[in-house]
Amino acid sequence: MPLPPPETLPEIDQSVQDAAPLPIGERLVRNQCISSAQLAEALATQSDRGNKESLIGKRLIELGYISHPALLTCLFHQLTRERVAYQLDYQERPPQTIIRFENVDKSLDGRQVLDRLNLEIPANKITAIIGISGGGKSVTLKHMVGLMKPDRGEIWVGDRPLGRLSGRQLNRVRHRFSMLFQEGALFDSMNVTDNVAFPLRETTRLSEAEILHRVEAALQEVNLGGMGHKYPDELSGGMKKRAALARALVTQPEIILLDEPTAGLDPIIENAIHYLICDTFMRTRYTIVLISHAVPAIFDWCHHVVVLHRGRVLASGPSLEIRHSADPTIKQFIRGDLDGPIQVI
Amino acid sequence: MIALIRLLGSYTIAFVTETGSMFLFFFATVGHAFRPPYRLHNILKQIQFIGVRSLFVIILTAVFAGMVLALQGYYTLTRFGAEGLLGPAVALSIIRELGPVLSGLMVTGRAGSALAAELGIMRIREQVDALEVMGIAPMQFLVAPRMIAGLVAMPVLTVIFDVIGILGGYLVAVQLLEMSSGVYFSGIESAVVMKDITTGLIKAVSFGLIVTWVCTFKGYHARRGAEGVSQATTSAVVQSSVLILVCDYFITSILL
Repeated sequence: MPLPPPETLPEIDQSVQDAAPLPIGERLVRNQCISSAQLAEALATQSDRGNKESLIGKRLIELGYISHPALLTCLFHQLTRERVAYQLDYQERPPQTIIRFENVDKSLDGRQVLDRLNLEIPANKITAIIGISGGGKSVTLKHMVGLMKPDRGEIWVGDRPLGRLSGRQLNRVRHRFSMLFQEGALFDSMNVTDNVAFPLRETTRLSEAEILHRVEAALQEVNLGGMGHKYPDELSGGMKKRAALARALVTQPEIILLDEPTAGLDPIIENAIHYLICDTFMRTRYTIVLISHAVPAIFDWCHHVVVLHRGRVLASGPSLEIRHSADPTIKQFIRGDLDGPIQVI
Repeated sequence: MIALIRLLGSYTIAFVTETGSMFLFFFATVGHAFRPPYRLHNILKQIQFIGVRSLFVIILTAVFAGMVLALQGYYTLTRFGAEGLLGPAVALSIIRELGPVLSGLMVTGRAGSALAAELGIMRIREQVDALEVMGIAPMQFLVAPRMIAGLVAMPVLTVIFDVIGILGGYLVAVQLLEMSSGVYFSGIESAVVMKDITTGLIKAVSFGLIVTWVCTFKGYHARRGAEGVSQATTSAVVQSSVLILVCDYFITSILL
C-alpha cells in the first residue's frame, strides 16, 4: 500500500484543525474517501448500533465502498494532518497533560536508570518514547502504571500522585490504563478468546454473553476474527502482538501503553501494527504512549516524541519538530550513525 | 580473618533479608486470601494440580515404602521374637513419620517444582506485571489459591499414603512372609491411637504450607530469564525438602 510522503498531502483546512475530533465516517466523507450517501447507508444498515463509531469502517468495507488498505490510508492521512496541526498549535496552545513525571530518580542494581526525569505526556495524542537501549524507556513506562516505584520524585496521572495512593486507589487509577508488553504477556494456558476476555471476567460484572460479544469485536478490530480458539504458542509474533492489543483494547481504557509493539517483527507486520495503532487512535481517541525503535518510521505515526537518553529527557515535542532537531545526539540516533556523541563501540 | 567475617556477615544479612521477605510474602498472601473476590474455581484447579495429579506418585511411593518397611521390620523383629508387632511397627512408622514426610517430599518434587517454574515463567514473561496492570492482585490470583490448595491437598494425600503404605506392608507380611492377616491388622488396631493420626495430619498440613509457601515465593521472585527460573526451581525444591525434614524433627519433639 504505497503512501505519499507527508509533504505531498493537501494543505490543512483550518476548520478541520480547530474542530473536535470527527467520527470516522464524517472524516472519510470530508476526505472524499466515500460519499455522504454511502456513509448514510452504512450507518443505516450497521447491525451493531451500540458500537457504530468503532465498526463503521468494517461496515463500509463489507458494503464494498472502500477497501481495507484504502480505509487505513485515509486514516493515516488524517493522522498526518493532525500531526501538522499539533505542531502548529504546540507553542500557542500547549496540550493538556495526562501523565507527568517530576524529578523522578530510579536506580536498579546500583545503576542510575532515571536521573531527575521530568516528563509530560499529552492527553488524547499518540506519544512515542525513543532512545538508545538501556536509556530507561521501559522503566519509565512501568513507572507510569505503578509497576515500579521511584526512589525519589513524583508521578502524576491526571491529578492523582501515584506515590501517595493506597493499594485500592492505585488499582482504580490502573483501571484507566491498558498495557501491551514487549512479548505480549498472554497467558499460555488460555486460548486467545479467554486471554482477551480475562480482564473483563476478572474486573467487571458483565454477563458472559456481553463479554464474548466484546471479545469478538476486539478480535475483529485487530483482524484476528475467528482465531479465538488458538493458543498463544500457535500464533506468530505479529498475531501475538495483535491478540495482546485486543486484550488491551477490550477494557476500553483511557490510556494505552505499548512497550515496543513492533520489536522483532518483519517490516510488513511492523507497518500493519502501526496502521492498527493509528486505526485504534482514530476510533477511540485514547492517549497512546509507545516505546519504539522503529526510527525514523515512528515519526510518521505519532503526534509527540520524547527522546530519553541516560535517564533524562533529551528532547520532547511534536514529532515533526524532533525529527528535524539539530541536536547532534538526536541526529545520530535517527540516522543510526556510529560516529557521534553516543559511543557504542 | 576480616574477609571471613565479612563473608559471614554478608551471608547472615542475606539470610535475614530472605527470611524477612518470606514472612512478609506469607502475611501478604494470608491477607489476600481473605479478601474478596473469592476465586473458588482457582482453588479447585490448584487442588486438582497439587492433589489429584500427585496421586500416582504418592500411591507408588506408599506401596514400596510399606513393602520395604515390612520386609526390614520383619527381619529385625524376628531377631527378638517379636514379629507379631510387625503390623503396629509398619502402621506407626507410616502414620506418624513416613506418610507425611514422604508425601511432602513427593509433592515438593512433582508439584512444588512445577509451581515455582510456572510462577517464575509468568514473572519473566511479564504476565505477573500484566495482572497488576489489569488491577488484579497477583498474590490473590496466583499465590493464595496455591497455598490454600496445598493446605487442603497434603492431608488428603497423606491419608491415602498411610492407607496404601499399610496395605503395601500387608502384601509383604501376609502374602510373601506368610504372616497371619488377623495378627497384622489386629496389632494395628490396638496400637494406633487417635494422637498418632492427628500428629501425622498436623505434619501434613505444615508440610503442605511449607511446600507451597517456599515454592510460590521462589517462583514469584524469579529474575533474569531462563537461568533465573531454573535457579528458583532448584532452590525451591532444596529449601522445601530441607525445611520439611527440619520441621518434622521439631513437630515430632513437640508432639511426642
